[in-house]
Amino acid sequence: MFGKLKEKLNSFVDKVAQTEISEKDVNNALDELEWELLEADVAFEVVEELKERIKSELVGRKVKIGTNKRKIVEDAVEKAVLDVLTPQRKINIIEEIRSKTEKPYVIAFVGFNGSGKTTTIAKLANYLRKHGLSVVIAASDTFRAGAIEQVEEHAKRVGVRVIKHRYGADPTAVAYDAIHHAKAKGIDVVLIDTAGRNELNRNLMDEMKKIVRVTKPDLVIFVGDALAGNAIIEQARQFNEAVKIDGVVLTKLDADARGGAALSIGHAIGAPILFIGVGQGYDDLKEYDEKWMLEKIFGES
Amino acid sequence: MALENLGKALNSALKKLARSNVVDEAVIKEVVRDIQRALIMSDVNVRLVLDLTKRIQKRALEEKLPPGISRKEHIIKIVYEELTNFLGKEAKSIEIKEKPTVLLTVGIQGSGKTTSIAKLARYFQKRGYNVGLVCTDTWRPGAYYQLKQLVEPFNIEVFGDPEEKDAIKLAREGVSYFKEKNVDIIIVDSAGRHKEEKGLIEEMRQISEAINPHEVILVIDGTIGQQAYNQALAFKEATPIGSIIVTKLDGSAKGGGALSAVVATGAPIKFIGVGERVEDLEPFDPKRFVSRLLGLGDIQGLLEKF
Ligand SMILES: Nc1nc2c(ncn2[C@@H]2O[C@H](COP(=O)(O)OP(=O)(O)OP(=O)(O)O)[C@@H](O)[C@H]2O)c(=O)[nH]1
Ligand SMILES: Nc1nc2c(ncn2[C@@H]2O[C@H](COP(=O)(O)OP(=O)(O)OP(=O)(O)O)[C@@H](O)[C@H]2O)c(=O)[nH]1
Ligand SMILES: [Mg+2]
Ligand SMILES: [Mg+2]
Repeated sequence: MFGKLKEKLNSFVDKVAQTEISEKDVNNALDELEWELLEADVAFEVVEELKERIKSELVGRKVKIGTNKRKIVEDAVEKAVLDVLTPQRKINIIEEIRSKTEKPYVIAFVGFNGSGKTTTIAKLANYLRKHGLSVVIAASDTFRAGAIEQVEEHAKRVGVRVIKHRYGADPTAVAYDAIHHAKAKGIDVVLIDTAGRNELNRNLMDEMKKIVRVTKPDLVIFVGDALAGNAIIEQARQFNEAVKIDGVVLTKLDADARGGAALSIGHAIGAPILFIGVGQGYDDLKEYDEKWMLEKIFGES
Repeated sequence: MALENLGKALNSALKKLARSNVVDEAVIKEVVRDIQRALIMSDVNVRLVLDLTKRIQKRALEEKLPPGISRKEHIIKIVYEELTNFLGKEAKSIEIKEKPTVLLTVGIQGSGKTTSIAKLARYFQKRGYNVGLVCTDTWRPGAYYQLKQLVEPFNIEVFGDPEEKDAIKLAREGVSYFKEKNVDIIIVDSAGRHKEEKGLIEEMRQISEAINPHEVILVIDGTIGQQAYNQALAFKEATPIGSIIVTKLDGSAKGGGALSAVVATGAPIKFIGVGERVEDLEPFDPKRFVSRLLGLGDIQGLLEKF
């Protein structure tokens, strides 16, 4: 008898003690977070979308009186950011390579000028060798001055062979030769170094399409510069449209970059980040971890 | 073209102002917010944007109207003034006063230093100067060959030694080598570095000390975002910066990072890079640039009133 009454009383108190999260509550809390994300180089477009998402999720939701609404909004933002940062599908590159029955496993590296493709290839060659895999590099940047000498010296230092032609040669032919070489010698992995290009340059984008069309790489990796701002969205989109991007390496995170580019790229093309570059040494390649990235973006590390 | 979007957005913000019937606080705030968005989308440093737009808003709300000028016109004037203040004023060129004039190029990894040096060398050569280049990049494999191959077609000489590990020694020797050869201009290339690499920043300071350049040129990637300001500041603290070259403006670059670097260093942009080829270099004229940014064709007449 008495228990029933108490129950009723409790539910009544619960109802009265509830309040709704208003648009104003959300806006207030989002205001500062918005600046923080922008300062971390999250592209404007992405910040706007995050805001909309948080609003539609939270406005009107009922919470107990006395709840810290600000905290609720912050948590929601963090969760939304983590969602974008968390790859839909994780690629374990070593397993992928090992599980391919017919050698070699071919990886093409593409990206904007100076983003760090060639250096990343040297780092990855080093990483793969440490995992007991054999590697050959295709010097398919036959365009930029010094590109062949650069990749050759890197390869020498990490102890892998380079297949090269001369400057001006067809990059696709170089890659093709490298794949043949790998087949003949039973080499596990071919890394194709392509020239940097501007995403609005039609001819260069077509040339890249051809490399990918002919060599049919198992993985196309987009190398992006973590120091880039809003432009990275357009870069990632255009490259993804031209040749489907399977994975991303984000470089130069040692330069105090907050890493918003990770969020922008994730938003733009959804391809998983596989590694991050954290320096110019061969060991400065780290496996991607979304929690680490999240902390970096919110300036907590 | 870079900053095109910024131009468009600023322009439409100003047009909104020109269209509205009454210019009250709400309208002013809306226009200021539009300007803020436009600048942030163009990668201008967030803090700089806040400062700038706060100033515009304050002036727009508080300043007395000069006689014969409507409130709308007054606000457009304020925006114009604040932006030109921010973007720099006169077009400046790299002055070749002394023989030889020594230039040192510095910047973050991959920003376009080596390419820009080849472009500059060709630019000066075309104007009748004899140019010598020095490679002090002991870090990046192939750096010497890159510079050499870039200028080979123009018979411009490069001093360097891929085996040498001491960048300061290379700088000193390279400069005296070309001094003896009696060239007009010596341009020194350096390895890429960023503010967290303290050892490399110190190396840069020592190179600068060893060769005492007439001007240090900071090369900024046109696609750089929020980091531009702090990075540029760190370079400036190590060695005074005399000018800026902004590269890669042929892609989706927004260019706002370069503007932040201008504020951080107090140095003007003198050239812009618009492609990978040696010819893809253009002198930078801030006035023309601001006019284009604001679509000044439309409001030029108005500005003449002031
Ligand atoms: N600090 C730092 N520097 C890096 C990183 N990755 C690459 N770099 C440097 O960035 C510069 C450009 O790197 P590259 O590997 O030549 O870039 P790329 O994309 O191959 O350049 P292009 O072929 O000319 O388009 C070099 O000086 C590298 O040492 C990184 O993670 N951190
Ligand atoms: N699209 C485009 N690419 C450019 C421009 N300037 C330079 N590049 C490219 O950007 C990449 C990096 O240029 P580099 O001259 O090697 O840069 P750097 O600053 O000397 O690099 P490090 O010596 O490694 O620090 C190369 O692929 C260049 O061809 C430009 O104005 N537009
Ligand atoms: Mg390369
Ligand atoms: Mg260089």
